[in-house]
Amino acid sequence: MDLTGSQRIEAPREAVWRALNDADVLRRCIPGCQELVQASPTEFVAKVVLKIGPVKATFAGAVTLSALDPPNAYHIAGEGQGGVAGFAKGGAKVWLVEEEGATILHYEAQANVGGKIAQLGARLIDSTSKKLAGEFFGAFSRVVSPAPADSVAHVE
Amino acid sequence: MFPFTYHRPVELASAHALLVANEEAKLLAGGQTLIATLKQRLASPSDLVDLARVPGLTGIAREGGALVIGAMTRHAEVAASQQVAAAIPALADLAGRIGDPAVRNRGTLGGSIANNDPSADYPAACLGLDATIVTDRRELAAGDFFLGLFETALEPDEIILSVRFPIGGTATYAKFANPASRYAMAGAFLWRGEEGVRVAITGAGQNGVFRWSAAETALVADFSPAALVDIGLDGDEMIADIHGSGAYRAHLAGVMTRRAVARILERGSP
Repeated sequence: MDLTGSQRIEAPREAVWRALNDADVLRRCIPGCQELVQASPTEFVAKVVLKIGPVKATFAGAVTLSALDPPNAYHIAGEGQGGVAGFAKGGAKVWLVEEEGATILHYEAQANVGGKIAQLGARLIDSTSKKLAGEFFGAFSRVVSPAPADSVAHVE
Repeated sequence: MFPFTYHRPVELASAHALLVANEEAKLLAGGQTLIATLKQRLASPSDLVDLARVPGLTGIAREGGALVIGAMTRHAEVAASQQVAAAIPALADLAGRIGDPAVRNRGTLGGSIANNDPSADYPAACLGLDATIVTDRRELAAGDFFLGLFETALEPDEIILSVRFPIGGTATYAKFANPASRYAMAGAFLWRGEEGVRVAITGAGQNGVFRWSAAETALVADFSPAALVDIGLDGDEMIADIHGSGAYRAHLAGVMTRRAVARILERGSP
């Protein structure tokens, strides 16, 4: 399945780009991410717990960055094995456009799930993928751009 | 299945204590989703806390202007209850059309709403009837209980005790069932009473059950199937899967709602 979307982030493009390459930021934003260790500048090893309804499966896998064009765009891909649960893999082309001091993050993502998790969840994969993508970009936007509550505290 | 420790507490406090002590514990109600998931090895809880022997969780009672149904009451009991049929016939009808006989004889009201499957039937009845979900620590309006795809307002160690359905008005449930699973491809629970009209749609929305407010507004102005002809749901926000596209489900939800309106009109005022 394919997912496209965009998210406005109240931060300069350089800051957004740095965050997109920061293992700690990615770990905090990937839904269910337990571990994300940087193996090289473009490779990470991840452990992600996928919880959707009664299903709870742990996926161990790798996240790879490619087609790097700082600070404009990259391709991020992830692939994980969930043991008997099956496999999940996905990728997204991400690009950043400056707009009046803020940054618009655009993405085109694909997700694939196979094995038992696909059989049982066949009627829910699209909805789940959209939900997870929304959670990731929502969390990313909150981590990167200063929250309104913080700026109020700053004024005080 | 992966191994787990099975518990069958005989009081609510022990069930709660087991949940608190074991972070990876799961409550077992009727098990019609959970056991299938465990068999597929798609979940591996450390402990299963079976609610079957906890007293006070089953039964149907009329309390004032409401019907109170225990969380562990089976669908078949609700479907066969004279009391439910007399007070809220649409609820008995809905329960009798969930899944197959095996599911109805094991599945429970509490299990269904705690799971909040986006295609389940009971969540639509709870929203449509503006029910109150009673837990071991608070009471939640149905509108505050269902939060999204498989998500509810329940805390990890919170246990549903019962659901209180207000009696009054007229209701009906129109459902287009998947022929294999009997899950709703789209279902419309319609309620009409002195306070207005409620339309709860299940089986279609990507975020699970929802109130279709545009249809409610139109039906308050003109309670007829024709009032809904120009109102549509957005197919991009509906579930798309191997059984049907989002546009198909959006259309189907409209058809089910119009059928529900026609059925209430045929029946006349109560």
